[in-house]
Amino acid sequence: MKQTQKYFPLIPLFAAYLFMFLLAENKEGMWQLMSMLLFYCALGQAFNVFMGMTGYVDFGYVAFMGVGTYGMALSITRLVQYEFLGAWILVIGFGLAMAMSTLLSMAVGAVALRLRGAYFAIATIGVNEGFRFLIEGARIWNGSEGMIFTADLNKILGRETAAALCTYWADIMVLAIAALAGFVSLVYMRSKIGYALTALREDEDAAKVMGINVTKFKIIAFITSACLAGLLGATAWALKTPYVFPPEVFDIHYTIEAIIIVMLGGAGTLLGPLVGGLVYGISKYYLSIFLPGFQLLIFAPVILVIIVLFPEGIVGMLKAKTKGTGMERFVI
Amino acid sequence: MKRSLVGIFVVFAFLLAGVSFAGAAPDKIVIGHPACLSGKYAKAGEQAVGGIKACVEWVNTTYGGVQVGDKKIPLKYKYYDCESKKEVVTSLIGRLVSVDKVNVIFAPYSSGLTLRGAPVAESRRILYMDHGGASNAIFRQGFRYIVQTIGPATRYHEGTLDMIHKIAPNDKRLALAYEDSEFAKMVMEGARDHAKKLGFEIVFERTYPKGVTDLTPLLSALKVSKPDLVLGGGHFEDGQLFNRQMADLNIDVNALSLIAAATLPAFYRALTTMAEGVMGPSHWEFGVKYSAEQAKATGLPWIGPSQDQFMALFKKFTKKDMLPDYHAAEAGAQVLAYVLGVQKAGSMDSTKVRQALGELKFMSFYGGWKVDESGMQVGHSMVDVQWQDGKRVIVWPEAAKTGKACYPMPTFEEKAKDVKAIPK
Repeated sequence: MKQTQKYFPLIPLFAAYLFMFLLAENKEGMWQLMSMLLFYCALGQAFNVFMGMTGYVDFGYVAFMGVGTYGMALSITRLVQYEFLGAWILVIGFGLAMAMSTLLSMAVGAVALRLRGAYFAIATIGVNEGFRFLIEGARIWNGSEGMIFTADLNKILGRETAAALCTYWADIMVLAIAALAGFVSLVYMRSKIGYALTALREDEDAAKVMGINVTKFKIIAFITSACLAGLLGATAWALKTPYVFPPEVFDIHYTIEAIIIVMLGGAGTLLGPLVGGLVYGISKYYLSIFLPGFQLLIFAPVILVIIVLFPEGIVGMLKAKTKGTGMERFVI
Repeated sequence: MKRSLVGIFVVFAFLLAGVSFAGAAPDKIVIGHPACLSGKYAKAGEQAVGGIKACVEWVNTTYGGVQVGDKKIPLKYKYYDCESKKEVVTSLIGRLVSVDKVNVIFAPYSSGLTLRGAPVAESRRILYMDHGGASNAIFRQGFRYIVQTIGPATRYHEGTLDMIHKIAPNDKRLALAYEDSEFAKMVMEGARDHAKKLGFEIVFERTYPKGVTDLTPLLSALKVSKPDLVLGGGHFEDGQLFNRQMADLNIDVNALSLIAAATLPAFYRALTTMAEGVMGPSHWEFGVKYSAEQAKATGLPWIGPSQDQFMALFKKFTKKDMLPDYHAAEAGAQVLAYVLGVQKAGSMDSTKVRQALGELKFMSFYGGWKVDESGMQVGHSMVDVQWQDGKRVIVWPEAAKTGKACYPMPTFEEKAKDVKAIPK
């Protein structure tokens, strides 16, 4: 395969994100809907880097988003007094979000990645709750009171810019994170890392026998995925909603949503999280409009049917259908 | 051909005139609401939607619509389910503003979700009315289009302290023991400040973690401080535990007030006679005595249905035989506030209505309504409820009360012998 052809699958992915952006930008009333869809796509895309490629289900995933949110919140609330820093406070916030989520993923990974399958899932299930109780119990970072920092953002950026950041630029950043997560996924898929991860997903023991250092590659995928989650938390939560309350940012519900999105679209595929995020988000949105209060009741069996009909996810099914056609190189 | 062209032109001109006529004087005023009909705030959301529908119906039928200039315009209520999730809140606000062209947004339940929607409402310069976010911090962020109807958290215990200060001016030893949560901390911050103003001495103050299963060490320490009254709680479970373990340890005080737990019927069902005399603050309780006569006596204009009318309308729309609680009442009262705001401004323009709401003072079945410069509610008093002989009696404020307070409450030993809290 030629070097450039390796990246062909990014064309439909980036085209879809560009289309979403242009639609939101030009169609009145679409921006906030698109912002929600982008959040779900980015969440799925970031989660897919680990779950999709390794087959490991990390139930504590939301904890990485939570600490990312705290990274940005701490940067804003603690550095607001240093006026000369200006917008650099946000850059420091992103750095802190990435550093904190990376450190947490290293700590969790050091223990949990020694386990497999259901044992790994059980080991990670308490990470988010554990971290939440640590913050509340030890009363660090304002403990259970959390932090509200709209006023601090106003002070740093000025009222108009801060408002634009919350309602526009934060969404653009989420779009960038979704695209970045897609790009990283493809780079991994097309490199030694991806081949190793595919091997371990299919049969970890066989991969080991073949001489693959499975622990190393699992850790790479785990930290990458956590780092992207940290960035997403810093952007979609801390900047879009300038507050952080521990029960909200460590809510396991978001991990469940990430699993649904990846499964719907196709685990381990590049386009899967995009398709899964769109199907999930659009269904949620329109069901909440046309059948307010009943959407979850309808949504649950619909997801069940989709997963039974397409066990490989929607993109997995498309992949099978396009095999041997000209479209094959775009649908992965 | 020429004739038909002229005909088309006339029809087109007529249609345009019709459009411009409709634009000049809209035929309805639309309230938009990302309601919490599912998810963790579903119960509060169902109540709020019922309360809003009840008051919209009252405005459209009994009141005759909203008077703007010389025209009465009906209200329309447009709501979607936000699933109690922040991502959905902003997308629905976007839709309500752009697609449904609503004139005002009613915030979803809880401080967190209210905060989520505020920047979007600000950027669209649309009035954002808060009936479910009690955190004072919302109003320290500099939002310009937000107005609150629910009372702020820091005022929850003001009434309790005012009442004790009035009926037992010598009882000044106060203990605060509460859950380590954002809400309880804010409530107690207000209680502490108000207590100091009234000359209370805080002899004990400590928090306990969420999900606590044993309060014995904390309560043993509290007992040593010999308080006259105790303010505490956080949620239903710990409030119940608090009361039960006070009984186990025989910690007798003259008054015990527990937030979020003591006002619920389940509290008495769980504790039976041990709950006798226990109090709790609430934004509103069915049975309050606010009326047009009371409003007249206090010099406030009155608007809205009576409490019984509100209940009948609420039941009609919820199609359930349940009583409206404070979530319904505050959401309903918010409709009335908006109506008065539009009438005072003479326009539906959000900036003008926000300004008018800042100058508004009125009373409804929910009680008083007035906001400060930041939009925070300062005119509404919490009511204090006390369990007396298995019934919830509103004992404070004077304007709302349905009975006298039983003070001091019976001792736990007396309650074990089935002595009821009966006021002297």
